[in-house]
Amino acid sequence: MATKSLAQPKRKKTVWDTIIAQRELIIMSVPLLLYKILFSYVPVIGWTMAFQNYKPAVRSIWKQEWVGLANFAKLFTGVNGERFIKDVRNTLGQSFLTLLVGYLGSISLALLLNEVKNIKFKRIVQNITYMPHFLSWIIVAGLVSTMLAVPTSGGIINDVLIRLGIIKESIMFLSYPEYFWWIVAFSHLWKEMGWNSIIYLAAMTSIDPTLYEAAIIDGANRYQKMWHITLPGIKPTIMVLLIMNIGQLLEAGFEIQYFLGNGLVVERSEIIDIFVLKYGIQMGNYSLATAAGIFKSVVSIILISVANFIAGRIGEEKLI
Amino acid sequence: MKKIVSLLLVMLLVLTATACQPAPKQGTQGTGIQTVSETGESKQTTGLPVLSPDDPTTFSVWITTNFSAPAADNKLTKLLKEKLGVTINYEIITPDTADQKIGVMLAGGEYPDLIGTTDLNYRFIMGGALIPLDDYLTEDKANYLFEHVRPYWNRLATDAGDGVKRIYILPNYNRYYGEITGGTHYGASGFWIQKHVLQELGYPSLDNMTLERYFQMIEEYMKKYPTIDGQPTIGFEILCAPGREWGLTNPPQYLAGAPNNGGVIVDENNVATIFADKDIAKRYYKFLNQMNARGLVDRESFTQTLDQYLAKLATGRVLGMYDQRWSFGNAHDSLVSQGRDERTWVSTMPVYEGKTPYYADRDVMNINQGFGVSVSCKYPDKAVAFLNTMLSEEWQKILSWGIEGEDYHVDANGRFYRTPEQREQQKDLVWRSKNKLEALMDQLPKHQGTFSDGNAFSPGDQPEEFFETLSDYDKNFLNAYGKKTWRDFLNQPPENPVYYPCWNIYLDEDAQTVSQQLTDLALQYLPKAILADPSEFDAIWDEYVSAIRKVNVKVYEDAINAGIQERIRNWGGGR
Repeated sequence: MATKSLAQPKRKKTVWDTIIAQRELIIMSVPLLLYKILFSYVPVIGWTMAFQNYKPAVRSIWKQEWVGLANFAKLFTGVNGERFIKDVRNTLGQSFLTLLVGYLGSISLALLLNEVKNIKFKRIVQNITYMPHFLSWIIVAGLVSTMLAVPTSGGIINDVLIRLGIIKESIMFLSYPEYFWWIVAFSHLWKEMGWNSIIYLAAMTSIDPTLYEAAIIDGANRYQKMWHITLPGIKPTIMVLLIMNIGQLLEAGFEIQYFLGNGLVVERSEIIDIFVLKYGIQMGNYSLATAAGIFKSVVSIILISVANFIAGRIGEEKLI
Repeated sequence: MKKIVSLLLVMLLVLTATACQPAPKQGTQGTGIQTVSETGESKQTTGLPVLSPDDPTTFSVWITTNFSAPAADNKLTKLLKEKLGVTINYEIITPDTADQKIGVMLAGGEYPDLIGTTDLNYRFIMGGALIPLDDYLTEDKANYLFEHVRPYWNRLATDAGDGVKRIYILPNYNRYYGEITGGTHYGASGFWIQKHVLQELGYPSLDNMTLERYFQMIEEYMKKYPTIDGQPTIGFEILCAPGREWGLTNPPQYLAGAPNNGGVIVDENNVATIFADKDIAKRYYKFLNQMNARGLVDRESFTQTLDQYLAKLATGRVLGMYDQRWSFGNAHDSLVSQGRDERTWVSTMPVYEGKTPYYADRDVMNINQGFGVSVSCKYPDKAVAFLNTMLSEEWQKILSWGIEGEDYHVDANGRFYRTPEQREQQKDLVWRSKNKLEALMDQLPKHQGTFSDGNAFSPGDQPEEFFETLSDYDKNFLNAYGKKTWRDFLNQPPENPVYYPCWNIYLDEDAQTVSQQLTDLALQYLPKAILADPSEFDAIWDEYVSAIRKVNVKVYEDAINAGIQERIRNWGGGR
């Protein structure tokens, strides 16, 4: 066998050779590729609806009436436009705040847990903090709405604040627009903090222990070790997650705003998805909904490219 | 390795092959014209397939309702299976989430066999989801259904966009047969007040009610009883949950002596205008603002969902609210089942000075609610046959009264009645889910009014039964006011105008957008105005009015007026 292959003249490796050499891997990835094409790229044909006056009774999307950019004009001008632009602002604002609070929360939790030497205690804390991740958002929204209610309706937060003497009368948290973004951000923090910290904890385990030993010899204290070794050690993880999350900035969640939003806070609570639901899907105005969806996708692609570019510039891991 | 891969590939191939194979063709069913069924049975009188246990059928049924699906061991479910071979798969949607569910269904183009919904059926019709029923609605086919729609043909026929008016849906409520009886008017609006408040105040007269007097009664009672069952008493609750925003926006028209036309008031020349920005509205909300400053309005009103609102009512500590009787039915039933009749409500009808109350209208037939047969239904003739059978007096009695001997008895004069035990079990929600098909019945066409044997359609409408089912508390209460039924607390409704009511006029996309914008503005500004410090009210109101000015109200008003004119021209007359 060996002599036979040696005897053959060595020719240049072509693409086909690579393909044949990796045929098993390629065959295995084909179903996934088809899956992606079918569920992520084929639906893009539906974008044509944004340029039509789409009527579901006419089943084929090629027989609809074409209206050019009229739906985009409807989306960005007049009373609808004012509302939509406000909603874009709300979506971005809520996302940024959620991202910021979430990052600070889960990274500090991971840092602190990493320092805990009592394994039992560490496990318990970890379990308690990541449990809420498994609740569905609609349940969390219900919990939040009850917690923020007046004490007679089960509002724990008001109850505690009153008992501590911090406030005299209960505050109707859900009726002040200025609180709403924070409520969204902290609900996310409560739900996802423990779960998100797991990935940082995992990253921390891969830090070379000799670095810590060296730091101890240099006389570093705990906080200095955290700051100079642990944090830089997980920086690549932080950056990758950041880039991924920036692509999701226009996905500010849905359930919590839908469930907790009301007329009093609508100027701060309504996000793009709720607008789409209300003025698009509920009214059967699918074209307007699609136009808003396209806008969202385009902005997301721009955001993620920019974030990726910046990350590359400052010498960090690039995601794509 | 290679073996595994090829095995995987084969599996994949098999999977895709089965997935792509067209579904096996269903055997063609007997059409409506066929008079001899496949088994060679005798001639069918209705010209529709006969439903029988030998030929079992399963219908997927989509229902918008507040009732929940029947229990698995429901006795009428069994009866349907035994007698007709019909099995029903329920999909139940509460009205507040129906909007978006319908949007998704229309976009998908796949529907359950039967679609029963409230107020949004036009969207199904326009979206091409329902089949026209005209061919079935004849004397020799769906005879009961034909009789149901015959006198109202012009009202019910809708143009689905192809220029031909056809009937797509079968109205579920208020199509009356014979004499109208009944102690409760479920469509009734009112500023409701807890019975115990009136009892405490010595049953004051409710005639010539004003907003001032209504809130005065509430305030007096609240002073006397700051808590109910240890919980703070709530003076006035405002309903403004998604889908029921009218709880916030409708009252001004009643106060001005106009009936419920939704967002508009129609003048004597049949011209509709919105009233949201008019003085009659400002006066009402300003008054609520003052009442809020006095602690009479529940500040949580505006942040709660429909469920939370109903749950609050069901605690029995809410003294008053504006609502419609059907809308808070759950809370009412829950209080009754706890035996707390004194915490339920009666309606009062406050008006501005010089106006006559017009809270109650003649029961309006729900032309845009009820069942339709979807385009996805494989056996539309069977579906129609099912609906037709359900409308027969035999089945109507089973669905409404129950089974003779078990749920009601018949006396020597042929009158239906229930024993006290039978009445008691009707109040039990669990028993009802096992013995009644409330969700289905909610959307089915009904034989309201009286049956051919003179009995009322439902026990609540049978005069002697209505009075017998009243608790002692309610009997005393009615006696104290010298009234016989809850209907007597309302005004005597005059004949409805031809076009009435405007709230079920079909709106095109643009008008619908404006209507939604107006509702959104109301939700945004009115709660703020009501909760504000009284000195700030006028400023917020002016902001609200100028926001309304920016909306293209004319598009909405024009659409409503066009609808009114169309109805005046075409309505009336049947087949």
